[in-house]
Amino acid sequence: MEKKKMEGTGISRRNFIKTSAAVCAVTTITGFPAILRGATPKEIIIGSIQPLTGPIPEIGIGMQRTNKMAVDDINARGGIKSMGGAKIKLLLADHEAKEEVARSAAERLIKAGAVCLVGPFLSGPAMAIATLAEQRNVPFVIDVAAMDAITAKGYKNVFRCFPKTELFMQSIGGFLDQIIKEKKVNIKRIVVSNVGDAFGRSQGAAFIKFVKDKKWPFEIVEHVEYPLGVKDLSAEVAKIKAAKPDVLFPVTRTGDAKLMIRELYKQRVELMGIISPGSPGWYEPDNIRDLDKLAYYVLDNVPWVNPKSPIFKDVNGRYEKMYPGQYLDTNSGWGYVGVQVIADALERAKSTDPDALREALRKTNFKDHPMVGGPVIFDDKGDNINATTALIQVLPDPQMADRVKVVLPNEFAQAPYVFPWKQLWER
Amino acid sequence: MNRLYILLGIILAVLLFLPQVLNNYWLEIFILIFYYAYLGQCWNVLSGYTGNISLGHALYVGIGAYTSTRLAIVFGLTPWAGMFIGALLAMAVGLFIGFLGFRFGLRGVYFVLITISFAEIGRLIALHMDSLGSFMGLFLDFRPGFWNMQFKGNLPYYYIALGLLLFSVVVVRAFEVSKIGRYLVAIREDEDAAESLGVNTFRYKMWAIGLSSFMTALGGTFDANRIFHLSPERVMSMGMSIEIILRPIIGGMGTVLGPIVGSFLITLPAEWTRAYFSEVGRPGLHMVIYGFVLIFAVFFFPRGVMPFLNRVFKPFFIKHSSPGDNVRDL
Amino acid sequence: MNTDLVLQLTLQGFLMGGVYGLIALGLSLIFGVMRIINFAHGEMMVFAMFLTITFLLSLGLDPYLSLPITAAIMFGIGYGVQRIFVNRILDMPEAMQVLVLVGMGIIFENCTLMIWGGSDISPKTSLALSSFRLGALTVDVPRLIAFVLAILITLMVILFLKKTSIGKTIRAAADNRFGALIVGAHIHRVYGFCFGIGAACVGAAGTLLVPLMPAKATMGAPYTLISFVIVILGGMGSLFGALVGGLIIGVAESVGTVFLPSSMKQVVSFSIMIIILLFRPQGLFGGKG
Repeated sequence: MEKKKMEGTGISRRNFIKTSAAVCAVTTITGFPAILRGATPKEIIIGSIQPLTGPIPEIGIGMQRTNKMAVDDINARGGIKSMGGAKIKLLLADHEAKEEVARSAAERLIKAGAVCLVGPFLSGPAMAIATLAEQRNVPFVIDVAAMDAITAKGYKNVFRCFPKTELFMQSIGGFLDQIIKEKKVNIKRIVVSNVGDAFGRSQGAAFIKFVKDKKWPFEIVEHVEYPLGVKDLSAEVAKIKAAKPDVLFPVTRTGDAKLMIRELYKQRVELMGIISPGSPGWYEPDNIRDLDKLAYYVLDNVPWVNPKSPIFKDVNGRYEKMYPGQYLDTNSGWGYVGVQVIADALERAKSTDPDALREALRKTNFKDHPMVGGPVIFDDKGDNINATTALIQVLPDPQMADRVKVVLPNEFAQAPYVFPWKQLWER
Repeated sequence: MNRLYILLGIILAVLLFLPQVLNNYWLEIFILIFYYAYLGQCWNVLSGYTGNISLGHALYVGIGAYTSTRLAIVFGLTPWAGMFIGALLAMAVGLFIGFLGFRFGLRGVYFVLITISFAEIGRLIALHMDSLGSFMGLFLDFRPGFWNMQFKGNLPYYYIALGLLLFSVVVVRAFEVSKIGRYLVAIREDEDAAESLGVNTFRYKMWAIGLSSFMTALGGTFDANRIFHLSPERVMSMGMSIEIILRPIIGGMGTVLGPIVGSFLITLPAEWTRAYFSEVGRPGLHMVIYGFVLIFAVFFFPRGVMPFLNRVFKPFFIKHSSPGDNVRDL
Repeated sequence: MNTDLVLQLTLQGFLMGGVYGLIALGLSLIFGVMRIINFAHGEMMVFAMFLTITFLLSLGLDPYLSLPITAAIMFGIGYGVQRIFVNRILDMPEAMQVLVLVGMGIIFENCTLMIWGGSDISPKTSLALSSFRLGALTVDVPRLIAFVLAILITLMVILFLKKTSIGKTIRAAADNRFGALIVGAHIHRVYGFCFGIGAACVGAAGTLLVPLMPAKATMGAPYTLISFVIVILGGMGSLFGALVGGLIIGVAESVGTVFLPSSMKQVVSFSIMIIILLFRPQGLFGGKG
């Protein structure tokens, strides 16, 4: 079939129509959101970016759940009253634990109208989203991400609720001093292990530096690193065993924590105990269930939920009913807080304009949250100055949901701590 | 042939004009299309034209990205200069790999495996060197400015990506019609025959791999300054090497337009399905579809899409061809 | 150097090497006969791991018992995959083959992801935590069992190919495809069978790994890569070579962690591959180059 050509040009009519149609379609699609945004917000859009797939999906799913739960709770109480009861609409995204996916997810959410972002649990993606948020001038409230560097760049749109690595180190110092004094133990040889991702490395390195700076009498006899997603820790545990440590200080994620405990069991590594300077892997409901007795007596230094807080009791009670077998922990708890902080700022800003929202976030003084520590107040770098940690321990209890208890500091403690522990194979 | 150039010219004009009507998100999609088309084209120089398949091209992307970024961090060197240094380094590595591969007569699967090995070793080294950020990778500070190759909006990135792509098209086309190009096609079709006719296959293949690795590395710098993050997992992995080869293979290896056509065909649906399915919450589904799309693309177009388009559109673009005409493929 | 540590690592590596050998066996067979590198190899293994876990969690079947069932299912899947997809690409240029097999890998991995989700799953199996002492060494029982069974299966497959008529046909087809066609071998069925056996091998290996490590949908790729290394080391198409290569690589990787951080241990494997490719491409036991 001979294609008709437009007079004088070499273009076939078909091609010209195709191209024009494409340009028109593209223009229309892109024009739309702009029209929508100009109107008075009946709903305020927030974007949640979590790692729903990738190496730690169970944590990401938990965080998304509490992001959503907080939004639902706020809407149920009447939405943002200072803006006529506008409801919050939460858009969800998965960053797959990859920085570039985090970035493009953030871009997509902003395009869809998000006026603020919350997330992303992992430090690497947090950095990527923070940079994008700064580029696009959209506030970003970090619910969980510990790496110090994120708030050190001077980005004005980044606000972090979670304590940064530096804070973790300050509290573990206090707890260790207390344990050594009270239990009269002589810890001489320690091994530090960390998983090889942004958080693991920075947490591990910070702890090692902290030990050296504080001039404790311990000697770090071995430092083991392994990649995220490792399947086999037999060689690493063999090295740990050969170093004959008194205490192991691991920084892990969920999968490797399980592997490590099982290998320690199989290779009969004798320890006084395991104290994590602050890491996932030791308190998650799935890990508690899978490891059962093997999970007992591990101590972890994390910004845990405040068991005495009425907010915690209310939110946790409902969370446990909605998701049987799950409970609010140091990650999902902050997922709830992140959204609370945004909603609180929206109330005070009375507008979704990024500058107004940012100013309101800067002035945050929010105390109605379920975690340990004082009200959320951000310093000029965007860190929560009242974020703090507690020492939790997994203790025997017929009810799995009750096994993780706060043991220090004393004012939040639910039970006395056990140290040294019972060896894994003697339980 | 004039008609072909006019059509390409119009498409180019549209692409130049497009940013006026697109928002940041769409600009990003086009940037991805251009960027991967560029990388695919660079790969095409080696594998499309010599037939030696490399599955380790991510190594060069990484070398380019890490070199220019490190130089920027330590010396404050502008990435515009750093990228050439990175490219020279990548070229040296490429020539080294080429030397080993070609001197030792590795072909086919064996050549593929050696490219994979070097790329993986490169990735593992980067995963370990503290100066390269090891596991965390390097994060670039957002300091917008032309000399930092960093910009607030997506617009400048769009034009740079388009520029890179055009540059690669010009280079490959020049390469194709040059003497070297013709020798390479001969080598691709039958290396032993070419060799017996006196063609210095080793020299020309080294040219190809040197050029290919040099150009690929330039793309790495562009990418680093756009994403603000480099990690071995992202820029130097097998996953990246596979992404690089997909578009030219589906589009048509050994053709100038192949990688571009392939990139348009693949990148758009890939982004859409990813966005759609991750919102709906069915992880993995979009990738399963992606996998099937790849497989069926090969089944329907076993030599790529371009040869198919050639057959369909050639009569349109080549008006009166007589047997003696040297009719070129698109 | 701490000799106890080195011995322990050598033992662990050797035992794991048996399983590696089984994984590589499948790849070697597929390559030897059809001349394609199965980029979906590791992903198929992971799929089999999840099948095993499903049998364990829903039917209470211990992996060592469900192994024949899983292997049979994987055989069927392998046969089907070969007849439907792989057959069409046998004569295509390399690049197209690579693309299709990579696509298959993506499909396997993401089907696993869709069906079983993305988390680590490590269910308790009966012997998962047992170990015994052998002098200064600790022997991990699941690892030992995996080793013994892997070797047994490898020997069974080698015997099968040597003694049975189908086996001989497969080997004939490997040596000379055209000749086998002339002689009337139903070449497509032979190829299907061959791919099926390869899939069954890698599926069995996966089953053996379930008591040893948590299964995750995305863990396949490194196993694909390591099986390439082993097959090259042992010699493409040499089944015995796959076994020996597996043992060597297992030990090399494990002992390598003494000198290198454990994420670098693959550098050892890839360096071995490069050296073999350059200086002895037919590997230790391969015949023609």
